[in-house]
Amino acid sequence: MGDTTVSRLGAYAMVAAGGLIMLAPFYFMFVFATHARTDIFRLPPPLLFGHDLPGNVAILISRMPFWRNLGWSLYVALFSTVLTLLFCSMGGYAFARFEFRFKQSLFALVMGTLLVPSFMNMIPTFMIMDALGWIDQPRALYLPGAASAFGIFLMRQFVATAVPKDLIEAARMDGCSELGIYFRIVLPLLKPALGTLALITFIASWNNFIGPLIVMRSPEMYTLPLALRSLQSPVGTEWGALMAGSAIATLPLLVLFVLSSRQLISGLTTGAVK
Amino acid sequence: MAQVTLSGIRKRYGSVDVIKGIDLQIHEGEFMVFVGPSGCGKSTTLRMIAGLEDITAGDLLIDGVRANQLRPVDRGAAMVFQSYALYPHMTVADNMGFALRMAGVTAAERSAQVGRAAETLRISHLLERYPRELSGGERQRVAIGRAIVRKPKVFLFDEPLSNLDAALRVNMRIELCRLHAELGATMIYVTHDQVEAMTMGSRIAVFNAGGIEQVGAPLALYDRPANEFVAAFLGAPRINLVSQPQADGSAAHRALWTLLADGRPDRVVRVGWRPEHVRVVAADTGIPAQVVLAEHLGDTSILYLRVEGVTELLHAKVAAGGPHLQPGVRIGLSARGDTVIGFDQHGCQVS
Ligand SMILES: Nc1ncnc2c1ncn2[C@@H]1O[C@H](COP(=O)(O)OP(=O)(O)O)[C@@H](O)[C@H]1O
Ligand SMILES: [Mg+2]
Repeated sequence: MGDTTVSRLGAYAMVAAGGLIMLAPFYFMFVFATHARTDIFRLPPPLLFGHDLPGNVAILISRMPFWRNLGWSLYVALFSTVLTLLFCSMGGYAFARFEFRFKQSLFALVMGTLLVPSFMNMIPTFMIMDALGWIDQPRALYLPGAASAFGIFLMRQFVATAVPKDLIEAARMDGCSELGIYFRIVLPLLKPALGTLALITFIASWNNFIGPLIVMRSPEMYTLPLALRSLQSPVGTEWGALMAGSAIATLPLLVLFVLSSRQLISGLTTGAVK
Repeated sequence: MAQVTLSGIRKRYGSVDVIKGIDLQIHEGEFMVFVGPSGCGKSTTLRMIAGLEDITAGDLLIDGVRANQLRPVDRGAAMVFQSYALYPHMTVADNMGFALRMAGVTAAERSAQVGRAAETLRISHLLERYPRELSGGERQRVAIGRAIVRKPKVFLFDEPLSNLDAALRVNMRIELCRLHAELGATMIYVTHDQVEAMTMGSRIAVFNAGGIEQVGAPLALYDRPANEFVAAFLGAPRINLVSQPQADGSAAHRALWTLLADGRPDRVVRVGWRPEHVRVVAADTGIPAQVVLAEHLGDTSILYLRVEGVTELLHAKVAAGGPHLQPGVRIGLSARGDTVIGFDQHGCQVS
């Protein structure tokens, strides 16, 4: 008995240490957000919250159209999420439940795009967006990713387990149109997977740095990650303001995560368990 | 109520002919059972009638109107699936009313019709529940209710009782027969279970390998099967098929053949002998046989018998045989009445 208690305590200690190490940067981001630049570089650095948050936010707002950038971040993330849910669920449903020519090859093609490293897309993306005249347009951020290969794959797997063929045929017998079947039967049954995909897509869009770097030119069109980056310079980076901006940028994700972590985990595991 | 006519119906998947030309007339108000071994094309035929599967060739007429190209809903057919296929995210009432909603029926009228159907099936108390909160039998009733609400011209059932336990299956069998009598609707019922076929059908179509072997009333098929396949498919235990002995056959085999086939046309090379027509007599009378296995069911006993020289074991169904009929016991066999069916070399019945 003594042995198991000791080993259990050891395990707890290790998990706690791991948790601390992972949480530390997070904690210091919030702490530094409340200190001026000069304080942050004191030795030892400040470990507790200070009083300079208003000052930091003021710097933030003077250096960039901060609220506008935040707005674009939200706008792009929301559009991205809605479009991704729509197109990926439609694509996944089609691949899972319809028979059509070249289905296997098309699916292989979609999956194949997962293998292409994303930096390979940078220059083609810029050229295409430039040709379309979409530079500096938010749609250059949310349209290209609207049918993500990963999302289609996730949806296809989920449809295969959660939407039996009989159900679709029953609806067909009941006089439901094909679009009606998708909206009234398939979508409601995909809810758990849609929640998961929504979260993943929203976070990816929210944190996206490379995308706006390629297609956004004017600072007032920047999304947050890019805008915050402009605070950094070789000489006088405003670390306090940067941390304040990062902290504000993190808050929506924190709220989202707290509201949906259970859903996220169940959506990722149901397909596997059932 | 409707009349359904299949003429020259074929189905081909890629290069495989699954249904090889079916002609069948299903009368108004009839309970037609499609029975046959698994994989013989019963479901495919039913699904072509439903409109869930394209018809490769041939004509499907519903009430005299060609329906090959009609959408499922325009054919006026409702289907009950083996898996029930209830919409998991809708209550029982919504499930049953879904087709009406699609047809644009008002909420009030919908709930009235759902209520009436629920009463017929005694599921009124379940209307607010979700499918996951129902037992298998209840789900089955809801699935049938969903079909009834639409007032279809023809009901299609694809093995609807296969997922139920034995006791419930018997209940639902009776219930479905009652429903058929009450609604007077045309029903087409697919099953691989010959007991369901025999007990429920007004007529039975016996399927085999993509075609229909014989169509007729249950007892007509049982008593006068058109061929060996039908004879062997209907009835449990299986009919005994005894072949004509070779010239050098055993004495017992030849005696058995004389007993069963005497006075029949020369074309008869095999006879079918129902287990219930096998009579067990004392060992020194009749054809000598040995009990290999005995199943005493209480009311009857099933005996598996070896007759020297006959390759297959014979089945006999006798009134509770008593404890003396044990493996190894020697007995005699004789026939009960003139009930033997003769078959020619192609397996067709010779009358
Ligand atoms: N979509 C399909 N593609 C190819 N073959 C099929 C398809 N559906 C059914 N089959 C074949 O058709 C035959 C009949 O199937 P089915 O009608 O389901 O048989 P049953 O219901 O009598 O058991 C089977 O051999 C099956 O393999
Ligand atoms: Mg079947």
